[in-house]
Amino acid sequence: MREQIEKLRQEARRAADEANTPAELENARVHYFGKKGSFTLLLRGLGQMPPAERPQAGQRINEARAETELWFDRRAADLKIQERALKLKSETIDVTEPRGARKLGSLHPISIVLNDLVDLFVGMGYETVEGPEIEYDRYNFELLNQPKNHPARDAQDTFYIEDNIVLRSHTSPVQARVMLERKPPIRIISAGRVYRADEVDATHSPVFHQLEGLYIDKRVRMSDLKGTLDIFAKRLYGADAATRFRPSFFPFTEPSAEVDLTCPACKGGGCRVCKGTGWIELLGSGMVNPKVLEMCGIDSSVYSGFAFGIGLERVAMRRYGVSDMRWLFEGDARLLSQFR
Amino acid sequence: MKLPLSWIKEYVNINVSADEYRSRMILAGDGIEGVEEPGAEISNVVVGRIESIRKHANSDHLLICRVDVGGEALQIVTGAPNVFEGAYVPVALHGAFLPGGKSIKRGKLRGEVSEGMLCSGSELNVPDALYPGAGVDGILIFNEPHPPGADVRPILGIDDTIIDFEVLANRPDCLCAWGIARESAAVLGTEFRKPEIKVKTSGGNIGDFASVDVRDGALCPRYTACAINNARVAPSPMWMRKALNGAGMRSINNIVDITNYVMLETGHPMHAFDLDKVRGRRIIVRRASPGETLRTLDEKERTLTCDMLVIADAEGATGLAGIMGGEESEITQDTKVILFECAAFDRTSVRLTSRALGMRTESSGRFEKGVTPETVRTAMLRACQLVNLLNAGDVVGESPDNGMMIDLYPNPSLPAAVRADCARIRERIGVDVPDERMAEILRALHFGVSLDGGALTAMPPAFRQDVDQEADLAEEIIRLYGYHHLKPTLPIGAGIPGKRSERMRMTDSVKAFLRAWGGNETLAFSFVSPASLEKLGLPAGDLRLSPVAIRNPLGEDTKVMRTTLVPSMLDALALNQSRKNEACLLFETGAAFETIRGGAQKKEGELPWERQTLCIGAYGASVDFYEMRGIVEALLKSFGIAAAIERGADAYYHPGRSARLTASGQSVAQLGEAHPDTAERFRIEGRVYIAEIDLDALAALAVPAPPIRELPRHPAVSRDVALTMDESVPLGGVRDAIENACGPLLESASLFDVYRGARLGGKKSAAFSLRFRAPDRTLTDEEVDKIFERMLSSVEEQYGAEIRK
Repeated sequence: MREQIEKLRQEARRAADEANTPAELENARVHYFGKKGSFTLLLRGLGQMPPAERPQAGQRINEARAETELWFDRRAADLKIQERALKLKSETIDVTEPRGARKLGSLHPISIVLNDLVDLFVGMGYETVEGPEIEYDRYNFELLNQPKNHPARDAQDTFYIEDNIVLRSHTSPVQARVMLERKPPIRIISAGRVYRADEVDATHSPVFHQLEGLYIDKRVRMSDLKGTLDIFAKRLYGADAATRFRPSFFPFTEPSAEVDLTCPACKGGGCRVCKGTGWIELLGSGMVNPKVLEMCGIDSSVYSGFAFGIGLERVAMRRYGVSDMRWLFEGDARLLSQFR
Repeated sequence: MKLPLSWIKEYVNINVSADEYRSRMILAGDGIEGVEEPGAEISNVVVGRIESIRKHANSDHLLICRVDVGGEALQIVTGAPNVFEGAYVPVALHGAFLPGGKSIKRGKLRGEVSEGMLCSGSELNVPDALYPGAGVDGILIFNEPHPPGADVRPILGIDDTIIDFEVLANRPDCLCAWGIARESAAVLGTEFRKPEIKVKTSGGNIGDFASVDVRDGALCPRYTACAINNARVAPSPMWMRKALNGAGMRSINNIVDITNYVMLETGHPMHAFDLDKVRGRRIIVRRASPGETLRTLDEKERTLTCDMLVIADAEGATGLAGIMGGEESEITQDTKVILFECAAFDRTSVRLTSRALGMRTESSGRFEKGVTPETVRTAMLRACQLVNLLNAGDVVGESPDNGMMIDLYPNPSLPAAVRADCARIRERIGVDVPDERMAEILRALHFGVSLDGGALTAMPPAFRQDVDQEADLAEEIIRLYGYHHLKPTLPIGAGIPGKRSERMRMTDSVKAFLRAWGGNETLAFSFVSPASLEKLGLPAGDLRLSPVAIRNPLGEDTKVMRTTLVPSMLDALALNQSRKNEACLLFETGAAFETIRGGAQKKEGELPWERQTLCIGAYGASVDFYEMRGIVEALLKSFGIAAAIERGADAYYHPGRSARLTASGQSVAQLGEAHPDTAERFRIEGRVYIAEIDLDALAALAVPAPPIRELPRHPAVSRDVALTMDESVPLGGVRDAIENACGPLLESASLFDVYRGARLGGKKSAAFSLRFRAPDRTLTDEEVDKIFERMLSSVEEQYGAEIRK
């Protein structure tokens, strides 16, 4: 009996080892462990044994069977691994095959630059405000200390719709609207299209974009403007960017300052981009003229504030190396796809 | 404004290098756009005296000159016939440089050595107005002897540095050499030296020569006149021609040059009349009578209107006040008696007149920006002093204060003192400038200053018309103290949370959506030509054909504001096609400007309506109507809007391939294939697709996401059905009918196939996959069968759709 069991075990193990596929293994399993399998038959044969030997023999058969079944299980696991490996191999594709690419869309560079600036100023507590692009003369000029026939109006050749209605020549009329509507503290930015009767060329466009900021509160100082714009310059052009304030004139600010930025190309050493000066013009700014505050119903003996305005085209052109402003308004997909 | 540095230096000591001068002026707000040295390009060009001339043996037009250039005589060949023995001429030596980088080398001309070149005026960039005779066709011949070998540049007046100042709009007082010198002195801490003005009169009384009657004191607050008798009209001396030339003006004759010189020096425009041509020797300052005409110095006939101020004589206009004189009374070689005018005219009046007539002169530019009446007399005295200096005539009068000048100035306009508080100024600028320093700075700028504790009283000088409040003083103080003293601080106010407006948030998410879909954002001009709106093919009377018109457009393309973004989009698509871009998906957001809304027409004096719009345009292999509709529907869905689709859109869409999307009865979008006629007019080939989404409507209809539906716990039952129906049946309608008939237990009904084939006899077959589910139980087949039957009879009844056999 003992030899018989041993022989069967050897035979079954060999059968398992020789099975090359899960199906062959399954056949072998049925052959040995099925209803009419060899181990089953062996157990059935116990009846012909003397009763005294049966328990021991039965135990031996069951042990051998359990052990062999474990053998089969291990073999099954091996075969599964082998088969999966083969399947994976057979399913290999060329992952470098150039197809199925999704086209990436793009935002316009003006939107990208604008988003950056809005993020920055919203983070500093400013709120964005919109205003109409076709605007009353009163908001575009008069409330900003540019009465009719003021010579400064000539500097910005304005498109007129009617005697008192213009295409806004800057985003500043939004300031006037906000000051008339709200009480300080006021912290707003406003961005959008503005219009000036400039012939189209590489650096001029009759339509362009500005972002305007206004901060009004008690005891606002010109040095606060400097601090605010320094943060702005460093966020936009890197930690080593510095600003330089240069006296200027805008009817709606007093004192006024043109703000220059260390030339990003040469870091201030002087190059072709900055015409050797080491500085490039960044924006116009100043302390809100008390006359403007008063005209807009804000007590200038209590409140002061600053304002600044930046042209977005120039920032975008500089950032992306766009040398001709016309390209920004043309809509050629090959150019637009390059922005992210 | 250009000025020669030497002129400025007559009145101020510039004790720093040109570079430092430039940067310090710029940082004080006195912009300098450029510095030129016209003579710097010229080197090794010297005076030569022609000793002898002989003919060139091998040429009939070349001459061989022996020229003394100081110490040696050179042989130089020239082709100019105007040379003669004894002439003094400019000689470019071997190794010389001329304007434009041209270099001169020793060489041979037809076998004869030429050791340099004789120069013409134009080769040296010297105009005739600067050096009389320089314009001659040939070699420049000096008008008087000069030592051979001397540098020609000082002789020709091209040895100066010319500075181009960028004068700010509020500082008209700096549009002259005195103004710049005053600023320079304040910036550099040196002294402004105004020339001492003394006039030598030759007797007589101006009253015997002319009379002046100012009839419009508002437009002419001050008028002065002086007479010059026995005028000696002649060319001006070199120093004056050089100064005028450096400032960009042409020398004419000594009298006219004096008026221009005084303008450039003092900022006061002047005029000189030939008094014998002033009829009645009478000057009347009045408004033009309607239709009055005047022939101005530029030889043009001008028709005037009654709001224009003229200088008239007894019979009619003889000059346009502050802009240009009349041809009739122009100074000529024969002029015997001269009347100088120096006046102040109202800047608005000059501006409007100069605009209306399209005449911009040095004079009108200054009057527009503002000329102070207070300093008119000084300028006139300076002109008379120059007459003495140039010996250009006899100044009529017993003395400057007796019989020399007619001065009509009934209402002297004196600047008012400005009171300020030093502490408040410091607070405004955030820089600790001591009180005394503030006073010092203002005094350097010619303010009269008194300081009492922290209270500062400043009397602006007469020439400053731009200072009338504390903030103006603050600017003067900080700009001269130095903007570099501004140390960055941050406002001390309470923190307020910042935010993007709702409208911006919405546009941002619209743009992000389209970018993710592969769209490229574009920006087009907001104005278009009226023709481009007409090209759309809209029916007459459509509100989009009534755009806002611009009064002063740059041209046809900027004439009207766009009423829809579609023409710009079609232009962009056409451009991409013409550049062979195979496919594109573009989008733009912007305002469409409307003059009619809800049937109401915009009234005069009202703003037009601005509708925020999104426009999408696309062409290419992967885009069709359904792709475009899919984009728009998904976009609307992202704002919680489920829109109904209606066939048809505006006339510029393909009538069979366009749709309007509505929600809550409001139209939100229209989209489809562009009408081939419209496309053709925009030079578009093939099919292009456009969509317009009304962002204002989108904002109004957007709904926030509702609370979630819990996920189902019971299994769904799926049924597919193929329905055959006539080709004309709208499948959207069928789907809606299925949904309505099935009721709430229908979870979804989706179209998965449409089949058209000969076997269907012109009909189409649409296959829908339906999924049923109950929230609270597992549905039985019987329940679903009942619903299914109900659905079948409903679609048959509504659309004649039958289950496909």
